[in-house]
Amino acid sequence: MGGYGDVQLLRDDGLRLDGRKIDEMRPVTVEAGVLPAADGSAMVTHGLNVAVAAVYGPMEAHPRKIQRQDRAVIDVRYNMAPFSTSDRIRPGYNRRSREISKVTAEALESVVLVERYPRSKIRVEIEILAAEAGTRCVGITAAAVALADAGIPMRDLIVGVASGKVEDTVVLDLDKAEDNYGQADLPVGILPNTGEIAFLQMDGDLSPEEFNLAMEYNFKAAGEIHEIMVDALKRRYEGGEN
Amino acid sequence: MVELVPTLLRQELARLAEDDLRLDGRGRWEGREVSLETDCLYNAEGSAKVVMGDTIVYAGIKFELRTPWPDRPTQGSLMCGAELRPVAHRKYEPGPPSPQSIELGRVVDRGIRESGCIDMESLCIVPGEKVWGVMIDIHVLSDGGNIFDACGLAAIAALRTAVVPAERFDVGEDYTLKVNGTPIMASFTRVGGRYIYDPSEEEELGGDERIHITLGDEGHLHSLQKGLRGVFTPAEFAEIFEVAHQRCTELRELVANQEGN
Repeated sequence: MGGYGDVQLLRDDGLRLDGRKIDEMRPVTVEAGVLPAADGSAMVTHGLNVAVAAVYGPMEAHPRKIQRQDRAVIDVRYNMAPFSTSDRIRPGYNRRSREISKVTAEALESVVLVERYPRSKIRVEIEILAAEAGTRCVGITAAAVALADAGIPMRDLIVGVASGKVEDTVVLDLDKAEDNYGQADLPVGILPNTGEIAFLQMDGDLSPEEFNLAMEYNFKAAGEIHEIMVDALKRRYEGGEN
Repeated sequence: MVELVPTLLRQELARLAEDDLRLDGRGRWEGREVSLETDCLYNAEGSAKVVMGDTIVYAGIKFELRTPWPDRPTQGSLMCGAELRPVAHRKYEPGPPSPQSIELGRVVDRGIRESGCIDMESLCIVPGEKVWGVMIDIHVLSDGGNIFDACGLAAIAALRTAVVPAERFDVGEDYTLKVNGTPIMASFTRVGGRYIYDPSEEEELGGDERIHITLGDEGHLHSLQKGLRGVFTPAEFAEIFEVAHQRCTELRELVANQEGN
């Protein structure tokens, strides 16, 4: 995590720079079925973040060495568009996107009923069109809705959400300034129905108490986002068409 | 991924062509409905989203400070790249830029560059030392056919909304990029033996060669490209050239109307 002291992230009235309360998340919108070419897709906006996910498959897994005899593999690609950040990103895979893709795939493999599709592959493409802190979480949320839109059976709709710490205060859902100058970031993927966690990363400095509080915020937010995701899927399939 | 061209689809397209019909019921020179949205991406200095049938494309503009080429000390630069990412279709695979995406980016680039709509001299800050590099990045999110036209439209529409972020780079105040003109691309594919405008995904799959025409405001040609295997006659070209004029004028009006709002 970034600098110390010189950037004020909490206002004198106790609110955050963008006017949010300590445990308030940025507005979230979800739309399912946004990409006609894909088997399933979703667009999620979370504050200023925009993520689009597409699902292709299940399909034959190749090269064959990636095949698993007893289950499907999930192939995730998380990618930031060159124009998604303030400074242009050179197109192509980098170490950060590789790592995020890997742990996201592992999280999704824990949620999708992969045993149903031996020897096959499910491709999940996550494209970040606008990035403003928390993109891996927004990507997970989008991927979950896209998988559901593709009709792939899952234990639950996994929700990506993060909490962190700024000026020694635990806050829900860091924005860009808080992410850059804050003291900790705790992104997680939560299964609201079972109360389980399938994705976990953290960097910075959190005491055990702070960790528990951050997790409490994350679970609360995950429940709220989960409802928005379910609503989006209901909207998509209302009337039984499609 | 190996693309299996269904013989049945080719037969069906040929049969339809005999009665001058298309799979989706369109006329031969009829385009799909196009929707254009600009200024839709927060971190881009200019942006556009184009939806053409099942095709969805985003373009975003970024600026970079760079030193000019030694032989052109007072000129900035323009770069246009397109990415055919695996998100857009099951036929696209990850990896280094494919020949298709390079062709796509370069055809769009030529249409914009050669139209002269960007005055490279206007991108100079300090001659010989500091100029703006304009980067147009095109992101295809859904390939439902004719991504060339969608990419060309998104690129010029995004460029025309771009704001030069001079303040962020400490070289003066932000200002709107000056763009003199609206080059537009029109694409044709041979389907069932004859050319049609704005091919759908199925028409591309069961069709043959394609021709891309980019026209400027005065109807001048700025870029031409023939792609894939096949040949055509001057008479065929004359016919689609006429159609290209009409379609480009309509799309140029769409861009103007979007800006008027």
